[in-house]
Amino acid sequence: MNSPAAGPLLSVAGLRVVYTGADGRSSVALSSLDLEVGERETIGVVGESGSGKSSLAQALLRLLPSNAQVAADRLCFRGRDMLGCSHAELRQLRGEGIALISQEPALSLNPVVDIGRQIEDVLAAHRDLSRTERKKRVEAILRDVGFDEPARIMKAYPHQLSGGQRQRAAIAQALICSPSLLIADEPLSALDSATQAEVLALLRRIRSERKLAMIFITHNARILEGLADRVLVMRKGEIAATGTVEELAASKDDSIAGLISPEKTLGRVAGPRSSVAIEPLMQVQGLSKKFIQRRPFSNRGFEITALNDVSFEVHQGVSAAIIGRSGSGKSTLARCLAGLEQQDRGEILISGEKRAGAVQMIFQDAGAALNPRFTAFDVIAEPLVIQGRLKAQERRERVETAMEEVGLDPEWMDRRADEFSGGQKQRLALARALAANPRILILDEAFSGLDLPLQARMMRLVLELQQHHSLACIHITHDLNFVSLFASEVLVMDAGRIVDRTSPAGMLESENPVTQAIVSQSESLRAVGLEAVL
Amino acid sequence: MILYLAKRLGQTFLLLLGVSILLFVLTQAIPGDFFSEAQLNPNISADVLHSLRSQYGLDRPLPVRYGRWLAALIKGDMGYSFSYNQPVTRLLLPRLANTLVLAVPALLVCWAIALVAGVLFAGYGGRWTSRAFSFGTSMMLATPDVLLGLAALLFAARTHLFPTGGMTSVGVKAGLLPAAKDLLSHLVLPSAVFILSAVAPILRHVYAEMKQVLQSPHIRAAEGHGIPRLRLLFRYALPAAANPLISLFGLSFGLMFSVVLVVEIVLSWPGLGPTMLEAILARDMFVTLGGVLLSALLLVTGNLLADILLYVADPRIRVQE
Repeated sequence: MNSPAAGPLLSVAGLRVVYTGADGRSSVALSSLDLEVGERETIGVVGESGSGKSSLAQALLRLLPSNAQVAADRLCFRGRDMLGCSHAELRQLRGEGIALISQEPALSLNPVVDIGRQIEDVLAAHRDLSRTERKKRVEAILRDVGFDEPARIMKAYPHQLSGGQRQRAAIAQALICSPSLLIADEPLSALDSATQAEVLALLRRIRSERKLAMIFITHNARILEGLADRVLVMRKGEIAATGTVEELAASKDDSIAGLISPEKTLGRVAGPRSSVAIEPLMQVQGLSKKFIQRRPFSNRGFEITALNDVSFEVHQGVSAAIIGRSGSGKSTLARCLAGLEQQDRGEILISGEKRAGAVQMIFQDAGAALNPRFTAFDVIAEPLVIQGRLKAQERRERVETAMEEVGLDPEWMDRRADEFSGGQKQRLALARALAANPRILILDEAFSGLDLPLQARMMRLVLELQQHHSLACIHITHDLNFVSLFASEVLVMDAGRIVDRTSPAGMLESENPVTQAIVSQSESLRAVGLEAVL
Repeated sequence: MILYLAKRLGQTFLLLLGVSILLFVLTQAIPGDFFSEAQLNPNISADVLHSLRSQYGLDRPLPVRYGRWLAALIKGDMGYSFSYNQPVTRLLLPRLANTLVLAVPALLVCWAIALVAGVLFAGYGGRWTSRAFSFGTSMMLATPDVLLGLAALLFAARTHLFPTGGMTSVGVKAGLLPAAKDLLSHLVLPSAVFILSAVAPILRHVYAEMKQVLQSPHIRAAEGHGIPRLRLLFRYALPAAANPLISLFGLSFGLMFSVVLVVEIVLSWPGLGPTMLEAILARDMFVTLGGVLLSALLLVTGNLLADILLYVADPRIRVQE
């Protein structure tokens, strides 16, 4: 661990951020926050969504939108007061003193400006260098973040790069002026697990090579182990606790320990019992699906085999997990099961017969799956209206029960869907699925957009509902996480086939290379819940 | 690039063909023709009228007339004007040139003003400036073009600073420079009216697009890297906001035509506008057809230009090819 040098690099006392909404109501994002970061020190910041983590990152750079009021007793960088800075001084500080890596590289890079220009402009904004010298430095930094052909990357536009490449380019952009403090705001959460591991390794290397101080904001506290000197736990705009990851995990405060190891909050629910019925609830036999892609003005199409002879069965009240990398066909499988896609061959039988309506699906992005103009009532009642079996009064009662079951206040029935937060939207989607009285629930990466403590709570809710309604659940996921822990069976998919069929614990001993790859990725990221299997 | 262009050109050609068919059928659907009024004159016998109609080919069935018109059009012959007694091309082309001299520079000035003002208002404006902005542009949108034109006439008549109409004055000294000066002084008022009536919708679009783009994470990120504000606005935000604006640029050629017709008629600019009005009232069929076709041509040219600009401006479109 690095020892902090004399005098902190960044010193913050009593930082307050208040947002004023369009309706004049104000909400406090940060209330009286104290923070000190020494030279070469790494601070981890964890907290649930809405705890003020991202407001902190933006407040430190004074980047908050104009409807936010920022005040502090002290906000000093290298002894200089940042609150009294002029716009020009502030601009100098950004990028040169403090640099920011944002959450979503696909969104934080300009789509119509090439990568080379975007990095070069940062350099030009802070250093007086000739054009050729600038180009040389951009090339050097791109090589440093692991690009073999910097010249090609410089000419590329963001949409031509993969997610990992984009994040590396964004890191290069942040580092080009050799800042002394790097703020990384959830730099991994938008990436798939293989890329996460790669970017995390890069950040570790750069931190030690360049003697950077770092504020690492994340909702996955496990990756801070061995990276952060100190971890701050944020709750409702305040720092709830400080310490190392180990200390915090041992905290007596349940909600803090739960943030570090969310799976502990899950442990109190009994796992689903194995089924007593001999007859399986859902039988899938020899499912195949091909897509033909055709280019415009060309008769040559090429076939993509999304599903290739997939067969499995699911029993009542039991969870199954389908794990596979992106492109392995798992989403096509989910869409076929839910009846959103018609398979080319094969059969899906529910209780021995073909019928629809018994399957409901929960999508990854609840925000996109709900019509923002619908009220909560409209959203939940929609499947009932389509089925057309209930009277208005009965519908209302059913909606009320569904909302109560998923932990939403029925009073909110007339609020519009876009007024709900991310977790609440997912609860709404769940209530909509339940209102239709399904027997099988398909969750397609349903919670991966939420932060971990919230994921754990949603998972717990699903488990409770599953027991109460004796639902069968099929979880679809691209990596091993605590979702898979509650499955009695794990199906590993690759190239449209089920290549491995095992239990969560059995994955570790599996000799299948695909399974091994998924397990080792999750290990390198210290995926939450993995240790429960180990 | 060539494939993209060829595709767009092909589409443009088909579009024009469709427009010409529709136009022809619609003008023919209007009851009566140029000679209908002569029918009321007892001095002209039915035989004369019949022979006149057959001389101009008006007694043939519709598809034949369309075919002959189209065949002539391809050879560059737009037909014959009944009332001016001369070929439509000779009548319309000089007037089209006059219209373009007025409209194209004015449109470009409109865009320059809208881009700079829209970006700066969106980038630097606070709550009150944005309210003033929306009030001001709404007022401009609500003011009829004719009223602006009349106000300009009044201004010219009272102050004698500018000529009240026409394109050239009588008795200007020979030579290029005096002629240019004379033309410019005639251009000022019509251009001003044109700009005032056409700039508001463009300005509002630029402003709205910029406001939206300025909210996006990549602008926040670039600001976080310390990119200077003006560079941020014009080199990062504007290109990201450009796509819908470029499409609008293409469409604004059509908009230009409808505005310029009114301006020309009110301020008696010798362009297409007054001629078109006369031709429509006199049922001078080929002049009407030619004029509308020219305006359609202008619109599709504008769209083609926009497509090319889009291709140049957006790397994402280039890749799709």
